[in-house]
Amino acid sequence: MPTLDHPELRESLNKLLKNARPRLERVLRHFEVPPEDAEDILQDAQLTLLYKWDKIRSPESWLIGTVKKKCIMYWRKRRGSLCDAVDTAILDLISVPQAPNQERTELSCDLNRVLARLSLRCRSLLKLRYGLGYGPNEVAEQMGYQASSIRKVTNRCLAALTRQLLAVGFQREPQDG
Amino acid sequence: MVEHPHRIQLEGFGRGELQARENRAIVRHLLTGCARCRKVTANSLPVSFLGAADAAGFASGRLGTALELESLDYSSAFAAVRRELGKRQLALETEREAAPALLRELAARPFDRQWMLVTSDPRFRTWVFCDLLLDASREWGFQDPARALELAELGAAVACLLSHEVYGAARVGDISARAWATLANAERIRSDFRAAERGFARAERLLKTGTGDPLEKAGVMLLKASLRGSQRRFAEAFRLLDRVVGIARRCGDLHLCGKALIAKGFLSGIAGQAEEAIRLLGEGIDFIDVESEPRLLVAARHNLILYLSESGRQPEALALLEQTRPLYSRLGDQMNLIRLRWVEGKIAAALGQWATAEALLNRVREDLVEQELGYDVALLSLDLASLYARQGRGAEMRRLAEEMIPIFQSRDVHREAMAALIVFQKAAEMERVTLGLVEELSDFLRKCRETPGLRFRDSL
Repeated sequence: MPTLDHPELRESLNKLLKNARPRLERVLRHFEVPPEDAEDILQDAQLTLLYKWDKIRSPESWLIGTVKKKCIMYWRKRRGSLCDAVDTAILDLISVPQAPNQERTELSCDLNRVLARLSLRCRSLLKLRYGLGYGPNEVAEQMGYQASSIRKVTNRCLAALTRQLLAVGFQREPQDG
Repeated sequence: MVEHPHRIQLEGFGRGELQARENRAIVRHLLTGCARCRKVTANSLPVSFLGAADAAGFASGRLGTALELESLDYSSAFAAVRRELGKRQLALETEREAAPALLRELAARPFDRQWMLVTSDPRFRTWVFCDLLLDASREWGFQDPARALELAELGAAVACLLSHEVYGAARVGDISARAWATLANAERIRSDFRAAERGFARAERLLKTGTGDPLEKAGVMLLKASLRGSQRRFAEAFRLLDRVVGIARRCGDLHLCGKALIAKGFLSGIAGQAEEAIRLLGEGIDFIDVESEPRLLVAARHNLILYLSESGRQPEALALLEQTRPLYSRLGDQMNLIRLRWVEGKIAAALGQWATAEALLNRVREDLVEQELGYDVALLSLDLASLYARQGRGAEMRRLAEEMIPIFQSRDVHREAMAALIVFQKAAEMERVTLGLVEELSDFLRKCRETPGLRFRDSL
């Protein structure tokens, strides 16, 4: 691909960014990306475009596609950290050694009520994790999963638990099979 | 009375901004099933965040209406990006101005000195210079594989030294992956498949640290497919190329799509699927951007002419050859002109124009001997042998066979290929060379070049 001269490159890039802006805004709105986080996504995609300008043949569609992908990754990361926060909080809550009996009973009761709305697989896995204090390898062994896949399964179950925790009017998770 | 967390805290929890202690208190509260606080938290997240099943549950009371989405104002984000982009554009322009002179400065020195310079002098540690080295390596590819390898090694060294702070760690991951794939490809061209495997493994690891740009991944896969083709692992090569075509179509990169189809066409031809090769090469040629890669067009058309001729479609082969002739001349490099005469000789032989074919092939043979291209001399000599066999010219065949061995003994032809040529020489001495033996040998030599260690007859 012929390399553009500097002023030409600058002009082409600026023109492209100006033309693409309405579509980029639509993408950001579609994914409901908060404006304060949109800057990182846009900057990252546009800088990559600048560096790879000579190698990208359809820059506008590349840019839109890249921003879309980054929006998906943004929420995936956010979802992951929210699930981690929920998991850590529950593990902390159940491991408080001096908690009065009534508090412990109430916590167990509330947790079980949420878990009851999950699929059988997630319920069993999370009961082993929170109820019996099993580590990932023990859970894998107990439930017949490969050690290499238990992290993925656990993450799915934690996502289901988080969804359930934020659902208004309890929703039942789809059952296995 | 139940104490509800503050709305700001709930929203902060949804955004992952709170400390562990605050998270704990909120999770404990949400576990009680407090509908109000669940709704506030959920409203700080998009509908898609929780999945469709949950979305239905709270969408009615949700704040994220179309009107609210319209009010999301990204002006300051765009303005900030524009400022940053302006700064980077200036820096990149400075790099662009300096890079060609740096390459010239480097080219004037021996390789070990070049290596020392790029690894110790910060002037060479720029994105544009690294890119330039990799492009130059690709350009040299088959013309000067040793030079291509050196350039790729320098490119990989520069990529490793690029500043993560200046260019961004993920972008450095991308260009490093490209550098290692280019290096691996240069190793493949030199038939060092083990080094090529190691290079591609490293490129794939580096891709994982990159931006996730599908075009970058497709570039690595395209080169890796060539390695799989050289290893005669065609099924794997075709799978990789199909993935490249898929990515290229999704990204609207028709040129890349064309390159992948042409690569698949080349490999189909090597795999003995001439009709499939003709179809894929024709399709691929329609997609490529001729101005940016004229060499690719000539190579693709050259192979298409060959397969058309070998499939007995001489009029089509001739028509395409006439159409392509100006391009061979325009590129002007010696090897392309030799290839042009070679394919002309083959077509003349297929049309039964023995004298023309013999004259053309003999001239090509002289050129190849001069260029010291042992395998090509062997393959060309077998084309001549086939011509003599068809005309029952035993004496010429014996002379050809006698001339072949001394040439190969001093060239790049390896042991197994040499053994096959000795079989040919013995058969010629005994006047037992058949057209079948010549074709069998030609096929073996082609495979042998790509699979060192193969034995004659084992390959069949």
